[in-house]
Amino acid sequence: MGLDHDEQHIKIPGYLLVFAVLVVGTILTYFAAQIDLDWIFPGANTLLALVIAFTKMTCVMLFFMHVYWSPKMIWLSAVASFFWLGIMFAYTMQDYFTRTIGVFTP
Amino acid sequence: MASHEDTGHFHYHEPGLQHQFEDMGQQEESVSIGMWMFLVQEIMFFGGLFSAYLVFRWKFPMAFAAGSNHLDAFWGGLNTLVLIVSSLTMALTVFFAQKNRRNMQVIMILLTMVFGATFLAVKVIEYTDKYNHGLVPVTGWNKKTPPGVEEHKPTAPCWEHTEHVYVNPKGEFQFKDCSLAKMAEEEGILTESEKVGYYNPSTGQIDADKFRDKVRIFYYLYFVMTGLHALHMIVGLGLMSWLLFAAWRGDFSFQYYAPVEMSGLYWHFVDIVWIFLFPLLYLLGRHFMH
Repeated sequence: MGLDHDEQHIKIPGYLLVFAVLVVGTILTYFAAQIDLDWIFPGANTLLALVIAFTKMTCVMLFFMHVYWSPKMIWLSAVASFFWLGIMFAYTMQDYFTRTIGVFTP
Repeated sequence: MASHEDTGHFHYHEPGLQHQFEDMGQQEESVSIGMWMFLVQEIMFFGGLFSAYLVFRWKFPMAFAAGSNHLDAFWGGLNTLVLIVSSLTMALTVFFAQKNRRNMQVIMILLTMVFGATFLAVKVIEYTDKYNHGLVPVTGWNKKTPPGVEEHKPTAPCWEHTEHVYVNPKGEFQFKDCSLAKMAEEEGILTESEKVGYYNPSTGQIDADKFRDKVRIFYYLYFVMTGLHALHMIVGLGLMSWLLFAAWRGDFSFQYYAPVEMSGLYWHFVDIVWIFLFPLLYLLGRHFMH
């Protein structure tokens, strides 16, 4: 990005490496979902699945979408989008989490 | 055309440079920021659906797990791999555009399109399967069986459901197995809101119809989320067709490949959405199946 058009940030072996990470992540998430991890804590399966998904997403964004070599403004957009998403999730859930107060609990 | 140098001489500018930009660097940066602003809005667009998912899954985890177990994780996983391969070929399209290699660009765009189409074909197989098994959450949109053949009332409770004959004269959403909710009840992990959601208030037992309606919410979300994602794939294939034509014509070079790069960003974004949809829709109740 920027002035260095003819400069390659990442070459074919690099792309293949990212691809391999993504494939391994997919296989891992498939098999990890079959194992019951509820003995650690309820919902451990979901947490693991999300950790793998976030790792895969980070690989795609940094290397396939070239965010790693992009101007600060692109970094900011990418990070800010998740910040806003976090606000939406947090405020939605704080509503739903507290709705049962007074119904099921005194 | 940048004309603030009053030399009157020929002023060289790169072939892909639009007149409102100073140089290629500024042009590329503006184009990427514009594309990223669009993608941020897309994230919020899908984010609304993800928060609906979050709310209902938190409220009815067992109904969601039961619904998820009726999706085929093999097809979902295969589609994840198909999309990852298409993301690789898309990234290589940009790479070869930067290298001025027209033929490789055309080949990579074609491969991306083939994998994109494969994804949609698998989606058609899955949707057909849901249609044939009465899992489309809209009455009348499922496969109808001839009228007159009445379904006899099940005698066993829904957690001992074993019957697998498909009788559906009105094409209704059908989900008769509530064994997962029973299992959670026995293990004492059924939440209070689930008890309100699943129980028949007069008998205090899990009610087949009430449980079915919570599974129906899962299938609403499944169809809307994957349907919206599939729509994005179709738009992506449209972009690819245009890109294929332009690349074949030789429009792109190491100096000008912004359309390839921007279409690539879109394609990768659609891939990322699926990376989350796959575990959240297909795999969430798998560990209960043993």
